[in-house]
Amino acid sequence: MAHAMTVPESGHAPRPRKAPMPPVLRAFLWAAIGFLLLNTFVIAVDPFRGHPFVTGPSVVFGWVGAAIGWLLGIGLYDAVLLPLMGFPTRWQERQQGWRRYWEFATDHKVIGLQYMMFAVGGFLIAGGIAMLMRYELMTPYLTIFHYPSNYLTAVGIHGTLMMFSFATVFMIGGLGNYFVPLMIGARETVLSKLSGIGVWLVPVGILTVLFSPLLGEWSTGWRGYEPLAGQDANGILFYYLGVLALTMSSLIVALNLVATVMFRRAPGLTWGRLPLFVWGQVTVNLLMLIWFPEIQTTFVMALLDKVVPLNFFTATGSPLTYLMLFWLFGHPEVYIIAVPAFAIWNEIIPVMAQKSLFGRQWAVIGLVFVMMLSGLVWAHHMFTNLRNSEILPFSFFTEMISIPTGFAYMSAIGTLWKSKVRLNTPMLWILMSMFNFLIGGLTGVFLADPIVNLQLHDTFWVVGHFHYTIIGSMVFSGFGAIYYWLPKLSGRTFNETWGKTLAIITFLAFNLTFSQFFLLGLHGMNRWVPAYPAYLQPMNFEVSIFAFILGAAFLGNILYIGYCWRNGAQAGENPWGAKTPEWFTSSPAPRYNFPVQPEIVGSLYLYGEGTKVPVVTTALGELAATSRATQDPQFDWHDYAPDGGGVTS
Amino acid sequence: MGENVVFAVLWVVFSVLGEIGDRVIIRHNPMYYIVSNQGQLALQAFNFLLVVLTPVFVFVVLFLVFTMVRFTTKRGEMPPANKRFAIDNKAFVLVWVGGSIALNLLFFLHPTTSAMEQMFALDQPAANTHDLVVDVTARQWQWIFSYPQYGLTQTLTPNGQNLLELPVNVPVKFVLRSYDPYHTYDQYADVIHSFWVPAFGIKEDVIPGETRYEYLTPTAITSYAVNPMVRVQCAEVCGPGHPWMESPLAVVSDQQFAQWVKAQKALANG
Repeated sequence: MAHAMTVPESGHAPRPRKAPMPPVLRAFLWAAIGFLLLNTFVIAVDPFRGHPFVTGPSVVFGWVGAAIGWLLGIGLYDAVLLPLMGFPTRWQERQQGWRRYWEFATDHKVIGLQYMMFAVGGFLIAGGIAMLMRYELMTPYLTIFHYPSNYLTAVGIHGTLMMFSFATVFMIGGLGNYFVPLMIGARETVLSKLSGIGVWLVPVGILTVLFSPLLGEWSTGWRGYEPLAGQDANGILFYYLGVLALTMSSLIVALNLVATVMFRRAPGLTWGRLPLFVWGQVTVNLLMLIWFPEIQTTFVMALLDKVVPLNFFTATGSPLTYLMLFWLFGHPEVYIIAVPAFAIWNEIIPVMAQKSLFGRQWAVIGLVFVMMLSGLVWAHHMFTNLRNSEILPFSFFTEMISIPTGFAYMSAIGTLWKSKVRLNTPMLWILMSMFNFLIGGLTGVFLADPIVNLQLHDTFWVVGHFHYTIIGSMVFSGFGAIYYWLPKLSGRTFNETWGKTLAIITFLAFNLTFSQFFLLGLHGMNRWVPAYPAYLQPMNFEVSIFAFILGAAFLGNILYIGYCWRNGAQAGENPWGAKTPEWFTSSPAPRYNFPVQPEIVGSLYLYGEGTKVPVVTTALGELAATSRATQDPQFDWHDYAPDGGGVTS
Repeated sequence: MGENVVFAVLWVVFSVLGEIGDRVIIRHNPMYYIVSNQGQLALQAFNFLLVVLTPVFVFVVLFLVFTMVRFTTKRGEMPPANKRFAIDNKAFVLVWVGGSIALNLLFFLHPTTSAMEQMFALDQPAANTHDLVVDVTARQWQWIFSYPQYGLTQTLTPNGQNLLELPVNVPVKFVLRSYDPYHTYDQYADVIHSFWVPAFGIKEDVIPGETRYEYLTPTAITSYAVNPMVRVQCAEVCGPGHPWMESPLAVVSDQQFAQWVKAQKALANG
């Protein structure tokens, strides 16, 4: 293992000749070259080519060339391929400064922040598009969108970016990459180079989806339903390719985090002691490893369907095939988004209450059973087109999945009962998240009932339901988690008055916006329409007003967090009195997380009389004090850790 | 005496208030306007779920508020550390897990299975009496209605819109197909649509290459002019024309229907 860490920790080594341009600039240049090479090649050999320089088939190959060029330019060439082939490289990992976030990195904390940065970028872009959609819906006729296709393309980009570049990315690629290794007492991830490359597929995916209108409109929304997609212009190609890049990035995250949790847990961190947040990550990572290859295969087939064409999905008699394949992934996807939020609740609540987590095993069982059942409910998205005989089984599992979901509430309620909890900003966000997801879950019970579903399907009730589940769980818990971990991420803290005020404004705006979606749906408002019957205008108008406030509130929170990151008051090392290992090192954590390998000697969720500090950093400290870490550039802590390399003394 | 009792009392009180609120909502029809037997099934199921879920909703929301009021420290204070905390309570876990299983089994039996049985029964021979058959053809972007029993191939309003007109209290069998009769080179080059009349409380997708059926009985004389929920609306995105893929609908008396059929025949014969 030692040869994998040839980078010295301090910057004393002479820095080789500087790269001629910043990696991102080089990546763009190489991407352009890659695109031109492959696009021109395809145009040159295409026997059916017409006048345009960019055609459907050529843009697919050109995109592949651009993606490869981008990755090579960002660091795949310098940092991975050259060393792999035994050539000298001038790549050296930057250890400090803002520039390291705009380069290839192997530090999971830098990678985590890169994921968060790109995810927030995707959130702001997709959120801006949502504002345009709400502006359009203030009137029952077309205003800023000149044709329905423009509006439908905007809906598709909004949904695709929100799902694949934000909701799936922020908590897993972002918080997961940053905190999973810290919380299991690991000093690095297993596949750190692969992970460092994978994060750069996120901007590829975002830009691809965002610029899909360059190739023409696509009208299917984020689901890409066939046979409608078969009629769309080539914009749909960039939907397939962008999602392919984004899911590939998340797949790498899942692979890396599962491997890290399996092989890099600190001594004493048994599966029984694994932090809740890590359990949440492991379960969704397994879901991603199961279902992302499935949707990627489907999208490759849909792509070939379009450019060859092959008619897998558009042939007479088989239009439901694509729907099945999409939702087979599509429903696990929403649990991929929601499960980390359930885990976050029970991570933060015991800390803020300084009270032992109630029913820890039930909280974990809930996460695992949600994961397993999530693959059995998918056809409830198809009650309106399924055979009658298939409706009841899927309705059954859909209703049953609320049982393990409820375990997260049970643990949270048991922990908070008769506690004395600090009602600070992170805690407030968590309580709000529990409220919002409750509404999302209960409105889902109505949708799980087929006879009600046949009326509410494809109406704004469904739109309200999934915004409550996804924003309610993932976004509200995500803000809670960021406020909770801000002292860890930046060493600084925030002002409670500002934090709470922003949280309350967001909560009110969110509920005033989306609660009315249920009424709109019941009143006959269908989805994917920039124009609608005039009787629905008054409520749509006010929904839009609240939506604009909500957009401003999200923006305000992001700006405030950014402000505190740089200018907040200094925070203590462990300001909340938490017991999980990430708090037993300096804030922000040093390059290899812990000065010495910590050892876990007790439960991380027990508080009160007679409990002990569960993380010990002195046991191996003596070993480290005399270690060669300071003298030996080949130092590898695995050689000294009890579970690494089998060498204990 | 303590939190347990206070919480239980508040839960009961607010649940009762919630149930009273439900009665008001149900009286005003939470689905706004429903005029078919199918829609009644959906409405009854909706109301049942609303009534049963209200105490669950009240329990969690009350708990969250209760936490913020009763279970918090003063600002800046640390929670007490000199206590021993329960990490398990078998009675609570049993009630919670058992209760959620029981509730979901209940929902699966009623309204899920019971309502679906009633819906499925409508296409059994006993109920499927072909009193009125309406062929519904969905194409991009238009609904075409024909009445094979009356020899009407496409029914229109005086200004040329496709019109669906139904006699009240007569069971209707809709035959749903998605194809384009005007594209003779490839009639099935169409997409999935969804046949939805909001006031009928049901929608079924219309799928190219498949023939699907929907059975219902309109229960009141009404029309688009009476309530805009009485309209045929495509509910599945089907391309740029999707927002305007709608048709007016009128539910009329038997006599009016007979007159209307005559008028449509005269119109068709020029």
